[in-house]
Amino acid sequence: MIEFTHVFKRYPSGFDALRDINLRIEAGEMAFITGHSGAGKSTLLRLITAIEKPTRGEAAVNGRNLTKLPRRHIPYFRREIGVVFQDHKLLCDRTVYDNVALPLIVTGTDQQEIPRRVRAALEMVGLLDKERMLPVTLSGGEQQRVGIARAVVNKPPLLLADEPTGNLDSKLSDEILDLFLDFHHHGVTVLIATHDLHLIDRARRRVIELNHGELALDSGTRA
Amino acid sequence: MIKNYFLRHAQVFFYTLGQLSRTPLATFLTVAVIGITLALPAGLYVALENVQQLARGWEDNGQISLFLKQDLSDADIEKLSGNIRKLPAVSWVDFVSRQAALAEFKKLSGFGDALGSLDRNPLPPVLVVHPAASHTRPEALQSLLKDLRRYSEVELAQLDLEWVRRLYAMLDLAKQGVLILTAGLAVAVLLIIGNTIRLAVLNRRDEIEIIKLIGGTNAFIRRPFLYSGAVQGLLGAVMAWLLVGLGLLILSGPVHRLASLYGSLFVVENMGFLATLALIGTGGLLGWLGSRLAVGRHLQAIEPR
Repeated sequence: MIEFTHVFKRYPSGFDALRDINLRIEAGEMAFITGHSGAGKSTLLRLITAIEKPTRGEAAVNGRNLTKLPRRHIPYFRREIGVVFQDHKLLCDRTVYDNVALPLIVTGTDQQEIPRRVRAALEMVGLLDKERMLPVTLSGGEQQRVGIARAVVNKPPLLLADEPTGNLDSKLSDEILDLFLDFHHHGVTVLIATHDLHLIDRARRRVIELNHGELALDSGTRA
Repeated sequence: MIKNYFLRHAQVFFYTLGQLSRTPLATFLTVAVIGITLALPAGLYVALENVQQLARGWEDNGQISLFLKQDLSDADIEKLSGNIRKLPAVSWVDFVSRQAALAEFKKLSGFGDALGSLDRNPLPPVLVVHPAASHTRPEALQSLLKDLRRYSEVELAQLDLEWVRRLYAMLDLAKQGVLILTAGLAVAVLLIIGNTIRLAVLNRRDEIEIIKLIGGTNAFIRRPFLYSGAVQGLLGAVMAWLLVGLGLLILSGPVHRLASLYGSLFVVENMGFLATLALIGTGGLLGWLGSRLAVGRHLQAIEPR
């Protein structure tokens, strides 16, 4: 699903965010990316979502070569990846329902199909009763679950999460982790960037540790 | 599939209307500025059309006065008149005898007594030539005038409405002026819409970023802004139309009074159906284009971080 070969990323400022990363994550796998702040976790995710291009090396995600991906193909590429953000990135002026429906509207999903899929996604995260509310009226954990519902409503084969539990207490974190485990169980490839060790310990899945832009540890596939 | 496409566009359209009505003051201000900007050339256009209409009325009465030589006999004049009447460009010919001309002059000029003291009638006999309906354009009148001057019996041939031609020339000039002004103001409308949309794009920066992250194409992101620009342009054009109509309503009373003083039944006309359509179409098109230019430029700059 994800294959990095000798990937380097240097920002225009001259900062080397990633150095010689070799990484292979199979379809259906679940892995955690960890490391100190500035180790390159976010940069790795930015490369996978085609926000940035590698400076050197080959990167392929979901069968597409990211180094050669034309600009106009990027939107279609991103539709196959669900992304969960630490700050949720929800639209404050739209209801929970509209937020979750957005990826379906963007991809031009059949009108009759949308309500069914939105409600299925909201049911998965346990927020079916809050579909008419605005995100600001929800708690942090609930907002994150709306973000997760939006990320999976399109049924993407790959789910990325950037510090999904960064602002949550341990009980809410566990609930969020259970959701990811559930998606993984259903065959979705899940990649979570986090420095929440509790989360990693509890999940007992593959751990990839970055240190100053280099691959410091790869536990290999577990479970 | 096609039904879905139209449905999506309709949804974006109504969503745009909703967005615009949520900020009524900002929308109204933009629409008002566009309205006033478009009302200027539209108003001038209507004014020119009316002047031209008025001039056309005079031109229909275009006639050529032939002042004949003093010593012609009535038979000579009769023969000349007959010849001229046969010209294809001529509808009919009136004869004003020396006596009739004198009587008319006495009556109209108020110099009746002074003229009475003259021992002979100083006025020449006159043939008034009315051109055929097919020959009322200035060029046709000019060539008829040239033909009439060739007759030896004619002392002086004068096109009474020489000044109509000058008016026409001035109107042509004014039209060009309106055209240039229109082009300039069209650019102004583009800039107004462009700036409004630019602010809208920047205001919704976060939203655009999110839509880009979940796979929204540029066309998808652009669409509501294009609708917003086109709708505001359209509303601006409608406002311009109303402003012109209001101006004409205010002017129609005084114009009617002035016209009646000249014994004319002239009434001001508003712009016709096609001109209205053109105005509204132009408004919508300028709105769309201004929005397209602004969104195109700013969308590139907004990339997910």
